Amino acid sequence: MSDSPEDLRRWRLPRGRHGLPRELVERSQRERLLASVVKVTVANGYESTTVGDILTEAGVGRESFYELFDDKLDCMLAAHKLLIDSLEERVREGYLEEGAWTARMRKALSITLEWFAADPEVARFTLVELSTVGPAFRPIFQAEFARAEALLEEGMGDDAPTPELAQANSLAVGTILARIYEEVVLGRVAELPRLLPDLTYELLVPFVGEERARAAVQQA
Amino acid sequence: MVASALGPTSAPGLGAADQRRRIIDAMIDSCAEKTYAATTITDIVAKARISRTTFYKQFDDKRACFDAAIGHCIEQLQEVAASAQDQDDPPDDAVRKAATAVIDALAERPGLAQLLTGDAIAVEPRVIECYRKATIPGLEALWSRRDGSAQAHSDPRLAFGKAQVLILNQIAIGAADRLPELLPEIVYLAVTPFGGHEAALHQSRLANQSAPSGVAAGE
Repeated sequence: MSDSPEDLRRWRLPRGRHGLPRELVERSQRERLLASVVKVTVANGYESTTVGDILTEAGVGRESFYELFDDKLDCMLAAHKLLIDSLEERVREGYLEEGAWTARMRKALSITLEWFAADPEVARFTLVELSTVGPAFRPIFQAEFARAEALLEEGMGDDAPTPELAQANSLAVGTILARIYEEVVLGRVAELPRLLPDLTYELLVPFVGEERARAAVQQA
Repeated sequence: MVASALGPTSAPGLGAADQRRRIIDAMIDSCAEKTYAATTITDIVAKARISRTTFYKQFDDKRACFDAAIGHCIEQLQEVAASAQDQDDPPDDAVRKAATAVIDALAERPGLAQLLTGDAIAVEPRVIECYRKATIPGLEALWSRRDGSAQAHSDPRLAFGKAQVLILNQIAIGAADRLPELLPEIVYLAVTPFGGHEAALHQSRLANQSAPSGVAAGE
C-alpha cells in the first residue's frame, strides 16, 4: 500500500481501530494468512489462487494452515468476516450516536466511504472477489445485506421518517452497495469520499422526499 | 407470451440457430443450478443434448457462450418491456408497465434473474453497462417525447445498480419466485431518474395495487 494519500485519509478517520490494514498486521499466523488471502486473491483472482500461493505470501507452513482453516474458501471467508465485522463496528459507532437521523445517516455513509477508500485491495476483496467463490456467495451476501438493513433499522430514532415504500431499507442498503461496488470495479476507490453529497441525497430521497434530502445535504 | 418467449426451447432443433438457442438455454439453466464458475462445457453439452463439436462450431469457449446468453436475455427482456406499453402511454405509466412485465418475466424463470444479477456481474462486472445501454436511451426518449427533453432528477445509471442488488438479494434469500414483491421498489427506481420522487411513489402505489397477492407496501 502506498503511503501518502491513504495515510492522510486514515489520519482523518475517527480515533480507534479502523479498517483492516491494522487489524491484519502480522501478529499471528492466522492474521498473516488472512492478510495474505486478501492480497493474493485480489492479485490473481479467487479461482487461480492456490493454498500454496497464500502460504508463500504469508510465510506460513502448510500444516499450520490446515490447523486453522479447512481450505482456501474457509480462509477467504474468515478474512471477509473479519473485515465486514470491523466495518460494521465503525459504522455502528457513528450511526448510533446522538443527533438527527438524516445527519446520522450522512455520518454512517461517510464512514463507509472512507473505510473502503482507505484500502483499495480490501474494497476489491470484500465486494468483488467474494462474488466469484461460487455457491457459498449467496448465503453470505444475503446475511450481510440483512445485517446492514437491521443496523439501519436499529438507528431509526423518534425523528426518523416512515417511508411509504415498504422496503425502503433494502433500497437504502442497495443504493450504497451498488454505488460503491461500481466505483470499485471501475478502479475509482480512492475517490469514494467525494460521492458523499450525491449519495447522501440518493439515500435520503425515498425516505424524506427531494426537498428535505437536498436540505439535509446542504446543512452538512 | 412472456413464458414462451423466455422458456426453454423444447423441440429438437435441426438448424444452427436452434442449436445455438439450445446451447444458450443450457448455459442459463446450468448457471442457475451451480453458478457460472462451476459450469463446464460437459454440463452444457449434456443439457443441450448436442455434441461437443456442435458446441465449438457455435462458440469459441465457455465465456463466449456466456456472453451470448447474456445478450440473448437482454434482448428478450427488451421485447417483453416494449410489448407491455402502449404507444400513447404517458412516460411514467409506460415505465411502470414495462418494469412490471420484466419482473413478472424474471419471476417466471428465476434462473434468468440470477444469471443477469448474480453470475453476470461476478463474471464481468461491466455487464451493468450493457443493461444501461439497453434501457436508458429508451427511458430518455419516453420523457423527451412528452416534455421535449428529459430532465434527470437523479442519475439513471445508478437505478440499475440498485435494482440489480435488490433482485440479487431476493434471489439470495431463496425467494426468486416472489420477485414481484419487489415491484413497488423496482417501479420506484425505474421512474425516479426522469420522473422524480413523487411521480415514482405514485407509480409504485399503482404497481402495488395490481400486484397479485396484494403485496403490502404499507403493512
